[in-house]
Amino acid sequence: MSMKKIIGITGGALLALFSAQTAIADETLKVGISAPMSGAAAAWGLGFEYAAEQAVAKINAEGGIKAGGKTYMLELHAYDNKYNAAEGAKTAQTMLNRENINFIVGSIGTAPVKATQALSERKGALLFNTGWGKSIKGPKYPLTFTQMNTPFEILAPFYGYIKEQHPDAKTVAMITPNDATGQELEPVAIDTWGNLDVEVISKDKYERGTTEFQSIATKIATSNADIVDFGASPPTDVGSMLKALDVLGWNGIKVVPAGTSAGTLSKMAGAAAEGTYLGASADFTGESASEIQRELNAGAMEKLGEALNGITISSYDAVMALKKAIETADSIEPKKIAETLPTIIFESSYGPAAFGGAEVYGNPQQILVPVMITQLRDGKAVEVGRIAPAELKKRLK
Amino acid sequence: MELQVQLLMNTLQIGSVYVLFALGLTLIFGVMKIVNFAHGTFFTAAALVVTSVMMWSVDTIGMPIWFSYLIAFVMALLVVCVIGFVVYFFGFKYVLKDLNGSFILSIGLLLLLNGTYLILYGGVPRSIPAVIPGNITILGASLTIQRLVLMIVAAIITLGLYILVHRTKLGLSLRAVAEDQEAAMLQGIPYRRVALYGFLIGATLAACAGALMATVTPVTTVIGDDFLVKAFIIIIIGGLGSVLGAILGGLLIALIESFGGYYFDPSTATLAMFVLVVILLIVRPQGILGHAEK
Repeated sequence: MSMKKIIGITGGALLALFSAQTAIADETLKVGISAPMSGAAAAWGLGFEYAAEQAVAKINAEGGIKAGGKTYMLELHAYDNKYNAAEGAKTAQTMLNRENINFIVGSIGTAPVKATQALSERKGALLFNTGWGKSIKGPKYPLTFTQMNTPFEILAPFYGYIKEQHPDAKTVAMITPNDATGQELEPVAIDTWGNLDVEVISKDKYERGTTEFQSIATKIATSNADIVDFGASPPTDVGSMLKALDVLGWNGIKVVPAGTSAGTLSKMAGAAAEGTYLGASADFTGESASEIQRELNAGAMEKLGEALNGITISSYDAVMALKKAIETADSIEPKKIAETLPTIIFESSYGPAAFGGAEVYGNPQQILVPVMITQLRDGKAVEVGRIAPAELKKRLK
Repeated sequence: MELQVQLLMNTLQIGSVYVLFALGLTLIFGVMKIVNFAHGTFFTAAALVVTSVMMWSVDTIGMPIWFSYLIAFVMALLVVCVIGFVVYFFGFKYVLKDLNGSFILSIGLLLLLNGTYLILYGGVPRSIPAVIPGNITILGASLTIQRLVLMIVAAIITLGLYILVHRTKLGLSLRAVAEDQEAAMLQGIPYRRVALYGFLIGATLAACAGALMATVTPVTTVIGDDFLVKAFIIIIIGGLGSVLGAILGGLLIALIESFGGYYFDPSTATLAMFVLVVILLIVRPQGILGHAEK
C-alpha cells in the first residue's frame, strides 16, 4: 500500500470518526426554566432549578432520551422571571426565540406563566408550569401542562383537614398577593371555606414587593378571625406578616395554601411561625417520602440550605414526564408529545404519576400526584396528612 | 381610640424609613438637578452589608449582637460612601443638571449594581437576629422595641440633616446651589465639590435607611427598588428638592398606607398614592412645598 493510500484511508477514517462524534454531540435537547431566582420568592426558583438539574443529570447519566432512532442529551437553561409578567415575557422571548427551546420544563407564577404561554402556544413549544390559575389550562392551550397540585386539587383536602382539627373555627381572614395567582386563588378559597361552614370575614390583597405589613396585621388582629389564610403569599411575606401579627398578640390558626419553604418561613418569623399549616410543602425526610425524594431533598439542603417542597420538586417530575412522553411518542415534536402526555403513566418523585383533570379543566393537563398537608413544628415541616387523587388511583388500577 | 393610636404608630414606623430614603433622593435632585434611579441600590447595599457582617461576626466570631450591629452599621455606611464616590466620580460628575443623561446613566447603574448584588449574594432573602428583642405598648399600641429604636434613630438623623442644611456653612452652600447654581458660583461656592457632598449625603441617608430596615425586614437584592417607587411619589408630593416636603410627603404616604390599608386594603392604598400624585401634578405640579420653575 502506498503512502498516499495510507494517508488517504487514515484521513478518511479520522474524518468519519469526527463527523460521527459531531453528530452525537449535536443531539442535544434544550430544556428551559423560568422561575424567580431573586426577590421574595427566590427560594422557589432556586430549589426548582436544583431539582431540574438533578433530573437532567440523572437522565444524561442513564444514557439520555431515545426517540426516532436517536439519543438526546438534555441541556438545562434557567432564567429569572422575578415572579412578574414583564420578566416572564422577557425570559420567554429569550428561551423560545433566542435559544430555540421547545420544552419549558418549569415556570413559576401565574402571571409569568401567562406571559410565557402567550408565546409558547404560538411557537408550538411545550410548557410545564406551576401556575395556580385555572385559566391557563383548557382546550385553548393544548401545549400547557401543570406540574404540581393547584388550589383545585389542594384546597378541599387541605381546608378540610384544618376544619377537622379545629372544629370550633368559624371565621377566616384572607390575604393574598394582588396578581393573577392571588386573584384566581381567592374565589376558589372562599367557596371551599364556605362549603366547610367557615365564613370569610375579610379578603385583602397586597402588591408583591411590599415590605411593610403592619396595616394588614392590624386589620387581621382586630378582625378577631379564628383563621388567617395567607393564600398565594410567598414564605418571606408570610414570615413578615406572622411577625407583625405576633407583636399585636394575635394567636389564631395560620394557614398557607401556597406554603412551601418551611425553612424560610421559620427563619423569617421564628416562633411566630410555629403551628402554621402548609398546603404545598412537604416532609421529604419523613416516612412517606420516596427514596429519590429523600436524596433530592438532602442534596438541596446541602447546596441551598433549604428543603424541597411541592413546588420545587415539580421540575424533577416534569423532566421525567417529558422523557417518558418523548420515548412513548418516539418523537421530539412538541405537539405529538402533548398528545401523548395524558396517556402515559410515568415515574415521578412520588412514584407512578399521570396527567388528568379533564373534568375540572376541560382537558387532561393537570399532574396527578398526592396532596401533602404539613405543619410547621420546631421549625420543620412535618407531614400530617397525604391524600392521593382518586383519578390517579383509578388510572393505576 | 386604641386602634387609631395603633394606626398612627404604624404610620410612624413606616414613615420614618420612607422619610430618610426620600430625603437623600430629594437632596440629590435639589443640588445636582438629576433624577437618580439607582438611589435604591445604596439602600440595598447597606442592608446587604449589614446582613453579611452580622452573619460573620455573630455566627463565626460569636460577637454580641448589638455590638455586631453597630460595626455592621458603620461598615454599611462606609461601603455605600465608597460606592457613591465611585459612581459620582466616574458617572454623575459628567451629567450634572442633565436630566436625560442622568436618567440613562442611573438606569444603567441600577441594572449593573442589582446584577452585581445578585451574583454576590444570591437571590435568597436574608435576615438577621433581633438586635433588641421584645415588644412594647405605647398608649395601647403594640410595636417591637427594635421598631421604636428605628423610629427614634430615623428621627434623630432627619433632625441632624435639617440642622446641617439650615444651620451650617455646608448647608448654606447646598441651599444656594439648589436655589441658583450660577449665582452660587459667582459667590465663590465650588459647585462640583458641593454637588459631590450633596450626592454623598444623599447616598448616606439611603444607607442609613437600608441599615435600619435590615433589622426588621427580610433583605433581598432588590429591596431598595421597592422603596424607590414610593420615594419618587413622596418627593413629587412634597416638592422636588424640598427637605421639609420630603418629610411631609413621607409621613403622608405612610398615613395613606397605614389607614388606607386598614380601612380598605393594601392594594387600594397603593392605588390611592398614585391617584394622589396624578391629582397633585394637575393641581400643584411643583408639589406641596416645591417652588415652580420661573
